Amino acid sequence: MGNIAAWFSHLNDTTGINFTIFYDPFDGSRFLNGFWLTLELSAISIIGSLLVGIAGAFAQGATFAPLRWMVAAYIQLFRNTPPLVQIFFFYFGVSAFLPSVKNSLGMSQPLVGGLAWACISLSLFAGAFNIEIFRSGMEAIPAATIEAAESLGFTRAKTYIHVVLPLALRVCLPALTNNLVNLVKTTTLAYAVAVPELLYVSNQIWSDSDNVPEMMLVLFIIYMVLVGFLVFAMHRWERWLRVPGLGT
Amino acid sequence: MRVFLELPPTLHRASTGSLPALRLAPWHGAAILLIILATPLYGYAAGGPAPSSALAVLVRWTPLLLRGFGLNILISFMSMAIGTLLGAGLGIALISERIALRATAWSITQFFRNAPWLILLFFMMYLLPYSLHLGGLTLALPDWLKAVIGLALPVMANIAEILRGAVQSIPPSQWEAAESLGFTRSQQLWLIIIPQGFRRMIPPWMNLYAILTTSTTLASIVGVNEVVTLAGQVLGAEGGGPDLLAPLYGYVLLLFFIYTYPISWATRWLERRNAS
Amino acid sequence: MIRRTLAVLGLAASLALTATAARADELADIKAKGVIVIGIKADYPPFGFLSPSGDNIGIEPDLGRDLAQRLGVKAQFVVVVGSNRIQFLNQGKIDIIIATMSDTPEREKIIDIVHPDYYASGFNLMLAKTVNVTSWAQLKGQPICGIQSSYYNKEVAEKYGAEIVAFTGTAEALAALRQGRCNGFLYDDTAIEGKISTPEWAGYGMPLASQDDKPWGVGIKQGEPGFDAFLSKTIIDWDKTGLIIALEKKYGAKPSVFAAAAHKQYQ
Repeated sequence: MGNIAAWFSHLNDTTGINFTIFYDPFDGSRFLNGFWLTLELSAISIIGSLLVGIAGAFAQGATFAPLRWMVAAYIQLFRNTPPLVQIFFFYFGVSAFLPSVKNSLGMSQPLVGGLAWACISLSLFAGAFNIEIFRSGMEAIPAATIEAAESLGFTRAKTYIHVVLPLALRVCLPALTNNLVNLVKTTTLAYAVAVPELLYVSNQIWSDSDNVPEMMLVLFIIYMVLVGFLVFAMHRWERWLRVPGLGT
Repeated sequence: MRVFLELPPTLHRASTGSLPALRLAPWHGAAILLIILATPLYGYAAGGPAPSSALAVLVRWTPLLLRGFGLNILISFMSMAIGTLLGAGLGIALISERIALRATAWSITQFFRNAPWLILLFFMMYLLPYSLHLGGLTLALPDWLKAVIGLALPVMANIAEILRGAVQSIPPSQWEAAESLGFTRSQQLWLIIIPQGFRRMIPPWMNLYAILTTSTTLASIVGVNEVVTLAGQVLGAEGGGPDLLAPLYGYVLLLFFIYTYPISWATRWLERRNAS
Repeated sequence: MIRRTLAVLGLAASLALTATAARADELADIKAKGVIVIGIKADYPPFGFLSPSGDNIGIEPDLGRDLAQRLGVKAQFVVVVGSNRIQFLNQGKIDIIIATMSDTPEREKIIDIVHPDYYASGFNLMLAKTVNVTSWAQLKGQPICGIQSSYYNKEVAEKYGAEIVAFTGTAEALAALRQGRCNGFLYDDTAIEGKISTPEWAGYGMPLASQDDKPWGVGIKQGEPGFDAFLSKTIIDWDKTGLIIALEKKYGAKPSVFAAAAHKQYQ
């Protein structure tokens, strides 16, 4: 470890190519924390958006019409508005109406922090797209399959969990992969509400050390690896789920 | 235990596999507007200043906010135009027969599709010069133009993919028939395959435009004076009271919704028309 | 067709960016041009801000006008921010930086900072009056709002262990402060003074002692000894004649210890 730090320090002295995250302990530690936070943000948002997608796709087939309208309105609202403004709306706007607690210094603090709002906002944003994706998967299921499940005595909920969802998932997995990749990319928006994820700490580092190109290079590499890993994992999952005769 | 009865089709709909198509009537938009404006009203009911103050502020600053929004739309137009041109070229390279060209095009596409858009914007902001000297001409590059270039790059990569997907969806028999009629490869591509694939490219292209329009707000983070930055300045000018935050950002959401919803509606209509 | 496109691309690449020609004598160039392009701030009262009619006013634009007068040329102002002022200078868009720029060794490597430094302002914390904080050490582990890319963020985070919550603009940072997402707002002390004197921020104060940070310097391109010498003499004259202290009074800035000491030194 000391060798790597020494080599990068030497690189900076000789060529001016400055990778402070490798030889400066303060920069290195906060960059690593930023990386973990990006992973955390991505993981929570992916899970949240999947839950929203599954629940929303179920609600779309409800017999209660106002519920269907509410889901339709939610999808249209979150798909046609900028995710950045959504985060601001939640972080600044909505949290102004939530109760606050007082901390030891006598300062009142909001109940929900920046990271939580970013996760909520991103889950809702990606969830709206997921509902559409799951719906397209569900439309690919032949009506005969659903009718067969009904005739076997499955309720609508049981049909959804045991028959519809597994089949729809296999059909829509490519589109879902695409959406989840976009979600990981969109986590950089948490920068705007001061969540110390990768881009935020990289900005701090390059402001202090004036090494924008080097930090950009590191950022690009890390996101390529993250996205590549996600796509790889989704492809393995797709292959594991493969049912002969279903899909192309 | 449910007994399956033969129900008329209209009642059948909710319980079979085919789900209702998404249809949003104009009054749904009004309902959304009501929800956005109702959140501050709830706060006022809890004991704050009169509701008219926030609405009055919004009305007063509307001309400025609309001008900022106009910049967003301008950025989206220019990015889409530049991205479409470059993407078309990149897409042709993606389906080229020469391996070197295809591999280069593939790596460029993968890079710009997998890089977060905000990082690309920062990249352009910091590393593009402030003016270009071409021979004797000096071309000034203002902030928003750098944002246009920064956003055009992922658009280019996505359009290349759209083009590749559309071309690949044309059955191989078309290629073979064209070849047997004696067309060269580029003639096959331009005269036969792409005109057929064109219709299929339109819905994803419009979808990409809607995504791009909502992404122009990222430019505010890198300092371009568009509608989100202006909203922040309005906030500062009005003293930054917490009761102005939700209405102000809700108002910006509404502006984007009014502009983007018709586009996504038209996209779905085209998709349905293509499918039939 | 591919060959044709490659040829077009090659032609475009060959017309690409050329570096700006190296200037041997900036001073003579400016006098010949008849105008000096000065980079100043427009969002930082009282050092550089806009009048209601849109003119650039403040301590630094006035210093720039005085400099132009001494050179016998017109003063032209270009608005800069912390992230682009050095790039503007090196690309020739501006001739000189007078924009609250701290004199740091990292910057000395890229541009030439004229000595003596002309000003120093402290940074401080804007706190609500209901918060009882009496020393900087109490901020350990507490969140503090700030602006992205401020140079004092790292210092406060390292020295006092505070958690800096940085936003892109002052509007978002102040909105977060109001919501109680942080205990205070880390900013330039003169700017904070201006803020707490307005009625909207009447419930806020600046109880802690200002931290003396790095003094500010005028920046010019490297390799201009003649220009550097001229500017050095001009800055000494500003201190000697008390111009800086007079401008502080004109714009209602807190009289700084640095300016008073410099005035005494160059008497």
